[in-house]
Amino acid sequence: MGLIDKIINWIDERARVSEVYRAQMIDYKVPKNLTFPYVFGVLALVTFAIQIISGMVLLLYYKPSIGSAFDSATYTIMGEIPFGWLFRHIHATGANFFMAIVYLHIFTGIYYNAYKRPRELVWIVGWLIYFVLILTALSGYLLPWGQLSYWGFIVTTEIPGSLGDAPILKSLFKAIAETIVLWMKGGYVVTDVTLGRVFGSHVLIYPLILLALIGIHLYLVRAAGISNPEGIDYDKKKNPEKFVPFHPYVTLKEGAYVMWYLAVFFFFVFFHISHFLPAENFEPANPLKTPPHIAPEWYLLGYYQVFRSIPDKFWGFVAFNALLILLLLLPFLDWSPIKSARRRPIFFVLFLAFMFASMGLTILGTMPPTPQNAMIGLILTAVVFGFFLALPILSIFEYGWHKVRGGEEQ
Amino acid sequence: MNAWGVIKTIIFGGSVLLFFFLLWFYNPFKEHEHYEVDKEVKAIIENPWKKTESGKTIAEEGRELFIANCASCHSLRYDGIYLTSVQNNPKWENIAKTFGRPVYRYGELYKDRFFVPKDVYESFAHEDLQSLKESLGQVPPDLSTMYLARGEGYLYQFILNPQKVIPGTTMPQIFNPEFDPQAKEKVAKIVAYMKSVNTPPPEEQSKRTVMGIVVIGYFILMGLLIWIYRHRLLKLLGYH
Repeated sequence: MGLIDKIINWIDERARVSEVYRAQMIDYKVPKNLTFPYVFGVLALVTFAIQIISGMVLLLYYKPSIGSAFDSATYTIMGEIPFGWLFRHIHATGANFFMAIVYLHIFTGIYYNAYKRPRELVWIVGWLIYFVLILTALSGYLLPWGQLSYWGFIVTTEIPGSLGDAPILKSLFKAIAETIVLWMKGGYVVTDVTLGRVFGSHVLIYPLILLALIGIHLYLVRAAGISNPEGIDYDKKKNPEKFVPFHPYVTLKEGAYVMWYLAVFFFFVFFHISHFLPAENFEPANPLKTPPHIAPEWYLLGYYQVFRSIPDKFWGFVAFNALLILLLLLPFLDWSPIKSARRRPIFFVLFLAFMFASMGLTILGTMPPTPQNAMIGLILTAVVFGFFLALPILSIFEYGWHKVRGGEEQ
Repeated sequence: MNAWGVIKTIIFGGSVLLFFFLLWFYNPFKEHEHYEVDKEVKAIIENPWKKTESGKTIAEEGRELFIANCASCHSLRYDGIYLTSVQNNPKWENIAKTFGRPVYRYGELYKDRFFVPKDVYESFAHEDLQSLKESLGQVPPDLSTMYLARGEGYLYQFILNPQKVIPGTTMPQIFNPEFDPQAKEKVAKIVAYMKSVNTPPPEEQSKRTVMGIVVIGYFILMGLLIWIYRHRLLKLLGYH
């Protein structure tokens, strides 16, 4: 036995790594028929790791004060520091990819009904991750202190102010609206103090919360078991032929997918960064000059389009927040005992409508706000709400069909 | 996979790809403003690092033109150019050396140019900037990153004829092709100089390209190797 083996054994004897490895990787069994979209979970995890690592490098050179924030990002990091540009490109690409992968993950979860009993908690914690992720993205967007950063932040923090237009209890709503705006901005105007708060939240508070939530999310997935594309939770002991060991069956498959994902990722980093570091943001923030087109980043355009399609500001605000709440309540809206769109043809059609409407709202958000676009936006908003509100009704029917067919437990 | 599976894959995969193509590559529904550089001077902006007959590079000539024509109102801090009135102030050299650091960019050091933090510069130049604001209505912006923000077509058209691009602007038309036959060439050289401040030189650019190809190739190859290894391993374990 060589020296290295001796050291490994010495550690293993005390840390019991091989036992944990055996229990968690090889004896742990997953369904054999997992499809490609199940990879989005691990891709999101990989992207989170990329963001943490590249963020650490940027943190060394970024200066959170309005006098030097822009220069430290655009001059120091992009030109002075060797490979600083690489880490900024990676961080910008990672931010967009993280949101993209999380959206794909959410839509996969909806498609396979991965939020149903016993996985409601997985969904709720996942929703919290999504919410904190939006906050992280918003706060990170302000840090380069360019025109888009500054005005995007101003517009975003002004949106809760539309609560003040409430038809009833105007003074109460106005006070709430002002308080929210004040909390988000850290003052009446965006100054050094705001930048400091946003910086601290972005580099420490939100990532720590995310780390904890992701840990809980992973634990809950393990505790409740991975969902199944067929929508049937087989018993591992009764049907061992339907299960495979996590390692090497899944790890190697998803490992290969991760490699190809990184290839696409680095294509954007090296050859197609212009959409992630937009040109307009290379102009330093100027509080006296509003740029002509300000819109949120693409991952919020759906909500933004809902907000601006509805003629009344107050109801627009209520509508897009209601969408977020409906997404959180999804496990309780859809209580049908049948799982997975594969076995629910009506749900499949509803899902298609929901997916295309969400994409349509996002694309519409990039277009100029004409009355015609607002009309289309209103129709798509109705489709999205229709999806959520149709689920309880569909569940009643499916419960009936399920009982008629014998209603065996699944 | 059966036929229905293939259809679903095409629907979902196709719509996701189309969606991200619209967001991240080209969106025909979005409003685009477009400005073109005149054909006869396009080659000047193409490669600012090319040597001219005078023995200097185009970027260096552009820098001289910038100092002579633009620096009385505009600074370009990332390359150590400040307002002429500030540069002529005898105290400035000391301030620049104390609070600033020599310009260092894409691996090249420029010992005689100083990058001074924005707040230090703006406090020192407060009076100069205020007098410009009084006569022009606003402080003329620093042009360090304007190439990245606006693009070469916009800058070229704007410098050549400011009123055409922003009607009512206080920016004067310094180079008029009617009176100066070299006007277009000079403007192109200034734009080329601004490009050289913000774009890595060709050697650096090709290094980055090679790096990108190697990294992407590495990941594609690794994915393939893992896939092949998995295939063989599962056959051995009897899972196929």
